[in-house]
Amino acid sequence: MIASVFKMFGSASFWALLLRLATPILFAAMGAFVSSASGIANIAIEAIMTLSALGGVLGSYFTQSALMGCVIGLIVGILSALLISLFSMKLGASPILVGIALNTFADSLAIFILYTITGQKGTSASLKTPTLGSVDIPVLKDIPFIGQIFSGHYVTTYICWLVIILTAIMIYKTPLGLRIRSCGLNDQAAETAGINVNKMRVLALALSGVYAGFGGLFLSLNSIGLFSKGMVSGLGWMGIAANGIASSNFVILILSSLVFAVFRAVSAIFSTNQAFPTDLVNALPYFAVIVILIVTGVVKRIGQRKGSNDVVLGEVRDKHRH
Amino acid sequence: MTSKVETKKKINLSITNPKVFDAIKLIIAILIALAITFVLLLLISNDAVYGLKTILTGPLQKSRYFGEVITRTIPYAFAGLGCALIFKSGAFNLGAEGIFTIAGVAIAAVATTDLSSMAGLHPYLCVLAGMVVGAILTTIPAILRATLNINEMVSSLMLNSVYSCVSLYIIRNYMLTTTTSTIGSKDYIQSAIFGYIYEPLKITPCLIILLVCTVIVYLIMYKTKLGYQIRLSGTNAQFAEYSGINSMKLSIETSMIAGALFGIGSACQLLTQTTFFQPDKSVAGIGFSGNLLAMLGKNNPIGVVISSFFIQYLEKGTNVLYFKDQSVPSEIVAIVEGVVILLISSQYFLRSFREKKLLKDGLEK
Repeated sequence: MIASVFKMFGSASFWALLLRLATPILFAAMGAFVSSASGIANIAIEAIMTLSALGGVLGSYFTQSALMGCVIGLIVGILSALLISLFSMKLGASPILVGIALNTFADSLAIFILYTITGQKGTSASLKTPTLGSVDIPVLKDIPFIGQIFSGHYVTTYICWLVIILTAIMIYKTPLGLRIRSCGLNDQAAETAGINVNKMRVLALALSGVYAGFGGLFLSLNSIGLFSKGMVSGLGWMGIAANGIASSNFVILILSSLVFAVFRAVSAIFSTNQAFPTDLVNALPYFAVIVILIVTGVVKRIGQRKGSNDVVLGEVRDKHRH
Repeated sequence: MTSKVETKKKINLSITNPKVFDAIKLIIAILIALAITFVLLLLISNDAVYGLKTILTGPLQKSRYFGEVITRTIPYAFAGLGCALIFKSGAFNLGAEGIFTIAGVAIAAVATTDLSSMAGLHPYLCVLAGMVVGAILTTIPAILRATLNINEMVSSLMLNSVYSCVSLYIIRNYMLTTTTSTIGSKDYIQSAIFGYIYEPLKITPCLIILLVCTVIVYLIMYKTKLGYQIRLSGTNAQFAEYSGINSMKLSIETSMIAGALFGIGSACQLLTQTTFFQPDKSVAGIGFSGNLLAMLGKNNPIGVVISSFFIQYLEKGTNVLYFKDQSVPSEIVAIVEGVVILLISSQYFLRSFREKKLLKDGLEK
């Protein structure tokens, strides 16, 4: 069995699968990251992904253009993220409660819309939907091994890595990123320095809607163009978990999302193997998240005991955020 | 002097009284939600007026329908009660869904075991099994939060998925039914199923269990030291910590009570609504609804039970409508629920009216 695991890690198809399965988690993680960096928690990533996935499929079906579907999906994502700002910032509800409410009723809303349009509650299979499809990269695809890993992915996967680079630059190298982060670190100081905190938070929420929207579109508009009930299945929460581990460090955010994806890939491969009990293999990615959270929690605790400055600062930041 | 005392005694029924204000807010939120429902019905159904009327009066058409509303309210009310306790303590453990499922496995295990020697007690042993499993497993996110500061929302949701997979595994490998091809347990032994205490409406003893539990939760929340600690750490966790409340002990105790309630709720669902346990169907959605019902009832036990009834009533109304008009899915209730919750949890919703009135009263004085 150990030999087979090693063989798996040596194969190009495993790493390609990993990149594919990592995409929605990475998007979700960035969505959670941007909003919490601005000091407002967006825990409705899962809901936004669901609604965007549906919006993308319906948009693509009605316009018969995958690109328009994408645009509509993202608009749905932004609007649902802005619901959080409407209710929490304008109407004074707790963003956590709004998030829980959205998460719980997004599924029903999606099924309601799906049913009124297609007459079916489970999937959008009856709608013929154009999809974004995948891309072969001209020179790269001919290189053995590397080509197999990095070429032939869905468009959204490439967009994902582009967005990761752009986001890193935006957060750490632009005035906008600095402003967003300052709102999260200390909103009163930011206000005093002349930053419109509310505006920054609305912007950050809209951005997180875009990220989560892409995550949803990755799920629904890729190979077959299908929305099905419960298709997000905890991916948004994995992104939020990655954000929790990262405590406002973008590199750790990406790394932990990738680690979660490794377990998804392992689970996907093992679940086809008769030797393992499928149900328990399916539980592996979720169980792994908890174990990783525990491990990082212990590491942080030890760091705290040693009096490491970074961790202490992180704690202070966390306290400001709540 | 006397006139002043008299005015104090008079109950303030204007909008300036916070309780009256909350009630008005709730009524307006419900009216807005119903208005949205009406607009949706105009869009999707053939006859919106008839649709709305059926949704609102459908459950009263037959006594059987009304009985079903009550029976279906019970598990949801338990989920809501547990979530209300947890939310009140300031934690956001969303694990009710998973607990309902994994407790279901324990309940099914007891319910499929032949215990005919103690026939009358059999359903209560099932309830007890659910309670124990629920109480133990609900503490996990609380312990992780207290010891390692792991976000309880994330851990509880991940555990939901783990529990659902584990339940499938246990049922598939140890308790699988042989009579049908679905993934479910064997049929429950007849003695495990709750009898009726009021035949015409098919009311089971679960209703009494619910009423007793509601009173107990109310007493715990508002009349005991534990309840005071729960409310205090919910309103100001740091103050609670500094005033010497052991937050870890408190969160574990709260989760255990909540978990026990989830377990009872799961048993009430399984032993009245199903004849065998299907991990992915029998209790699906109840735990998540519990989160919403807790918010809808503003974490007040009595409010939670009333809102569970309200939502189940609307759901049954939609079902009745669905018999006649298939264009309206039952998910429309979720939209009502969502709108009402978002509006009543908004502190500033309608606040300007109240402030204007307060200002005017102040100026008059």
